[in-house]
Amino acid sequence: MAGPAILVFVTFVIFPVFVALYYSFYSWKGYGPATNFIGLGNYKWTLTSHDFWGAVGHNFIIAALSLLFQGPIAVLLALLLNQRIRGRSLIRVLIFVPYVISEAIVGIGWRLMLQDTGAVNALLHKIGLDQTVSWISNPKVALWTLMFVISWKYVGFAVILMLAGLQGIPEELSEAAAVDGASYWQIQRHIMLPLLTPTIKVWAFLSIIGSMQLFDLVYIIWGQYIGSIAGTSTMAYFMAQNGRLSGQLGRGSAIAIVVFVISLIVALAYQRFILNRNVDGALTERGMA
Amino acid sequence: MLSLSGNLKKTTAGVAAVLALTLGFAGCSSGSGSSGETSAAGGSETTTTQTSEPAAESVTMTFWHNGTGEKATTYWENTVKDFEAANPGVTIEIQVVQNEDLDGKLQTAMQAGTTPDIFLQRGGGKMAEMLAAGQVMDITDLIDADIKAAYGEGAFGFDSLNGRIYAMPMSVQPEGLWYNQDLFDQAGITTNPTDMASFNEAVATLKAAGIQAVALGAQDAWPAAHWFYSFALRECSKDVIDNLTSDKKFDDPCWLKAFQDVADLNATNPWNQGFLTTVAQQGAGSSAGLVANGQAAMELMGSWEPGVIGGLTPDGENLASLRWFAFPAVDGGQGDPTAIMGGSDGYSCSAAAPPACVDFLNFIAQKEYSEGYADAYSTLPANSEAMGVVTDPSLKAAAEAYSQAAYAVLWFDTSLGQDVGNAVNNAVVTLLAGQVDAAGALQLMQAAVAAG
Repeated sequence: MAGPAILVFVTFVIFPVFVALYYSFYSWKGYGPATNFIGLGNYKWTLTSHDFWGAVGHNFIIAALSLLFQGPIAVLLALLLNQRIRGRSLIRVLIFVPYVISEAIVGIGWRLMLQDTGAVNALLHKIGLDQTVSWISNPKVALWTLMFVISWKYVGFAVILMLAGLQGIPEELSEAAAVDGASYWQIQRHIMLPLLTPTIKVWAFLSIIGSMQLFDLVYIIWGQYIGSIAGTSTMAYFMAQNGRLSGQLGRGSAIAIVVFVISLIVALAYQRFILNRNVDGALTERGMA
Repeated sequence: MLSLSGNLKKTTAGVAAVLALTLGFAGCSSGSGSSGETSAAGGSETTTTQTSEPAAESVTMTFWHNGTGEKATTYWENTVKDFEAANPGVTIEIQVVQNEDLDGKLQTAMQAGTTPDIFLQRGGGKMAEMLAAGQVMDITDLIDADIKAAYGEGAFGFDSLNGRIYAMPMSVQPEGLWYNQDLFDQAGITTNPTDMASFNEAVATLKAAGIQAVALGAQDAWPAAHWFYSFALRECSKDVIDNLTSDKKFDDPCWLKAFQDVADLNATNPWNQGFLTTVAQQGAGSSAGLVANGQAAMELMGSWEPGVIGGLTPDGENLASLRWFAFPAVDGGQGDPTAIMGGSDGYSCSAAAPPACVDFLNFIAQKEYSEGYADAYSTLPANSEAMGVVTDPSLKAAAEAYSQAAYAVLWFDTSLGQDVGNAVNNAVVTLLAGQVDAAGALQLMQAAVAAG
């Protein structure tokens, strides 16, 4: 029964990749067949573009900061919510809600609130801070604004993932440790956290991939042009701006191929060097020892 | 045996599903070329009606327009109904496409061979690209003689290429500064600015009165680029402008001057607070919304502005105090100070459209429907006989300036095509954000043109 699945996958994933590869060698504006073959011209343009490398840099910064911010917050919240505390399910729902809301709604909502004349600045004025901050357009602030919105949006997903990981850890382990006199924090630090490592690694992988692909929130909050000025443009944003918006679909295809290769390298490297070592430090060896 | 036949059944079902899927694709791609359907569902619907009623005359056409407002959608529904009543057997399926999505959707449709039979056309470089791809019908000799007479000489200019006409213009859109007379009165401005000195003075007067002078939707970039176009129109000679599409080097000194004018104006900070994150047309916080709600005094726009503002006022009615003045002259400019920037919304037939398509264009170009169009879109009709329907004082002023202009120039992003338009947008916004100076902005634009 894999037939239909393979057919759909080949038609909608594999085939377009090769079509993009084909178009990337043409100067093509999207009307009619591509005829103007320019070899590697589009690749040269992309790889020598200052803005493109800026965007690549932003992707990597976003990936690193996402791990740095969301990881610890998610682990702490998951440890907390793994306890039997009052209102646990309500807190879980509240933390998970931003992840469920569509990116478009989140983007428009934050865009309206973060404008110079928006709700956030109005609130700051109300509590006596009389400085208007350009959350979106000031290059010194914008990337942090983006990081805040991303963290707000995606930390719920990380928490749910970590919670699932924690609940897969047998209770006997912490009970045994408690009997041996381990404190709460010692149990979390030396039993729960190491056993949670595989889950953290999978989450980090998803987070990195998500950061590499980031497009919608930036495009919606910053619009089609301000992102590159404010320093929040990502690779996909750059592709939309220089492929779709400029009507240079051949160039856009070349950018897509470059982004594909970069993402592939990152994904493969992560798998090779980090995911594969899952068994190393975790259950098996300690169990054997 | 039982389980085997069960498996067999499943396998057959799977094969059937694959076949159905493949056939579905094939059906989609072969059926679309002739009828121009956009969705599989629509496609099958047409097929069934065609097979059950094999009337020889029956034609179905698809029609894409950008009139998302209620008045515009109603206008098109009624107009299409009238046309269908006058032409039995012809059916037109309307699809309303959000303005910003229209170009992209058209491109995709043309690539997929599902070009709508009738679609909104803005002319210029985009039209030239469609034409080069063999997607647009030449309607020069198919336009009714009385329609041509009613429109008058030169009305088809924006929709022509090398002397041939490829679209029926329905509106003309002269650009200028739309302003709220109440706010001008409140600030004590009695005469409208005619040159940059008096314009800057007006800006200072408004700001002194605590009024945001100029609304600018720079997040969408194109409204900011229009300031550059308008300065270039004043700085550059007619020759330079006329040769724009054939000579895209932008090496005449007037281009740098135009960027410098933008930078100088920007230095006086005439814009609304947070203009870099202000959008053009959506909601009360947009630049048009600021003017509509008395939060800013003026905005540089084409003649769709009264309609857009009308949709954003608290009561949804047109802004009664809205007025218009022409873009100010600049010192030492080579362009004629009466020259006007603008565009036109026209409607094209796809190359493969049935003859009824041109009938439809001739139908909507009539006085009655041109009047309805101008009213529905709050704009100026291209059919000069329909001009009587225009009562809005701001539109009347714009129409008068347009008729007396030494020459009219199509929006640069339209005439130069998408890639240069995108580059100009980017250059101007980067300049307004203070990240490059005028020379840097010019370089950004030249680099993009050289790479294109």
